Amino acid sequence: MIFIDKYAYSSKLKHLEPLQKLLFAMLTLGVCLWADNAIISVSVLVLMGGVTALKGGTPLPVFIKLLTVPMSFLLVGVLTIAISMSDKQSAFLISLPFAGKWAGLSLSGLLDSARLFLKALGAVSCLYFLSLSTPVVELLNALRKLRVPSLIVEMMGLIYRFIFVLLETAYTITMAQDCRLGYFGLSSGYRSLSALASALFIRAYKRSEELYTSLEARGYEGELNVLEEPRHSSAREYAFCIIVNMLLIVASLFLKSSNSL
Amino acid sequence: MNEKILEAEDLHYTYADGTEALKGVTLGVRKGQTTAVLGGNGAGKSTLFLSFNGIHKPSSGKILFEGKPLDYSRKGLKELRSSVGIVFQDPDSQLFSASVYQDISFGVVNMKLPEEEARRRVNEAMERTGTAHLKDKPTHCLSFGQKKRVAIAGVLAMCPKVLVLDEPTAGLDPMGVSEIMKLLKKVQKDMGLSIVISTHDIDIVPLYCDYTFIMNQGRIVLEGTPKEVFAKKDMLRSVNLRLPRIGHLMEILREKDDFDISENAVTISEARKIMKNWKNGTK
Repeated sequence: MIFIDKYAYSSKLKHLEPLQKLLFAMLTLGVCLWADNAIISVSVLVLMGGVTALKGGTPLPVFIKLLTVPMSFLLVGVLTIAISMSDKQSAFLISLPFAGKWAGLSLSGLLDSARLFLKALGAVSCLYFLSLSTPVVELLNALRKLRVPSLIVEMMGLIYRFIFVLLETAYTITMAQDCRLGYFGLSSGYRSLSALASALFIRAYKRSEELYTSLEARGYEGELNVLEEPRHSSAREYAFCIIVNMLLIVASLFLKSSNSL
Repeated sequence: MNEKILEAEDLHYTYADGTEALKGVTLGVRKGQTTAVLGGNGAGKSTLFLSFNGIHKPSSGKILFEGKPLDYSRKGLKELRSSVGIVFQDPDSQLFSASVYQDISFGVVNMKLPEEEARRRVNEAMERTGTAHLKDKPTHCLSFGQKKRVAIAGVLAMCPKVLVLDEPTAGLDPMGVSEIMKLLKKVQKDMGLSIVISTHDIDIVPLYCDYTFIMNQGRIVLEGTPKEVFAKKDMLRSVNLRLPRIGHLMEILREKDDFDISENAVTISEARKIMKNWKNGTK
């Protein structure tokens, strides 16, 4: 998670208007889910990977490695769909007798699950494009523009900011415990862990009080209003986003009609 | 130059748990000067500072800003907090945003200035503190010294008249200390600021400060120019402080090694002058 954050900050697409990237990712995601077609899913996958790597400068291996993250989850899900039961052995490519019937893989089941697999991967790639090209702060700006309640956006911002402080604190405490042999042996490990958890809670509470005081000192009146840096947005990029999705829609319509023939 | 911009008169403050943090503090901060508040841990420095911009309301006694008692109404506090800015000791407690630019803009936006003016001030504050190149970096990737600068920029952007800094040099390396102090002196000159700092770092006091208050257990026990204050070494030691290293050296030379030097020196340049005079005198 932390390393995605680093790539987002070093992406060449960082300075693009976040709303634009959000629109691009969400629209393409929608089209990918709606089209429900292997060719479209693969195109989306290639498109998102291409934009992220070529335009954003994120190394392609990083993108591919990220795609393997949901893989185990996906494979298990897809396998359960591919396997079906029937009375006749002839319905299957490979089958095993199971409780008086046959359980196995049929051609249509395999095709179905492959399509589902690619659809899910295509959809995930859209989200990876967004998270690898848009730092969280930028994304929050986009949400603010979309009139998401400021309470939610502010909470997201504070949580994001203080995750790092919390991690650092947790790391320091763990190290200090480890130095005093806190993690040698199972029982001492559990004891140290519980001490760590309570210490973190107390630190976080104190930190929140200090934060409130310091915000108050700068005139906090209940809202975290800030200035956003102006971001570059151009009609050309909006056009790119629309045209690409139009093409995808047309292609999927064509594929759908040719399939039904 | 000697007009007092911020004054405390017989200030008392008791925390909700009964701790008496301030027990009758009276002091005055002179306009355009750098005032140091020295004191051991728990002397009441931070409580005093939080009283300066109305975060703590004194149990008794009063604070005067530009000769007028603080107005604790909403409007009064708002005005006060844009005139008296506080930079906290731990920048991680002060920086609430992951974006450097957004964090610096927070105070200015709260002042409800027109956007153009607000942006100008944010940019200016970044220039002054040398943080302009950090604006695209997330807060959690900055070094401690950089966070400190961003925290200072966030307060400077509000263009305060008094800048109050709680332990500005704590946690910085020697280079970082002198950089931050030089930066503060430069900003002070450019913006006509009055600066109040609290510190344990005794050696920086004679170098950068015009006036010093020594606090102990919620009271001011000594005040004066650094030279006056550091002449009272027994008093300092009784409140867990010490002389600047140079001052200590001069004391040892005079008292133990029978050097015939009557003058007191607390900085390197002062000591150099005295030693040169002494050398010429003995020849």
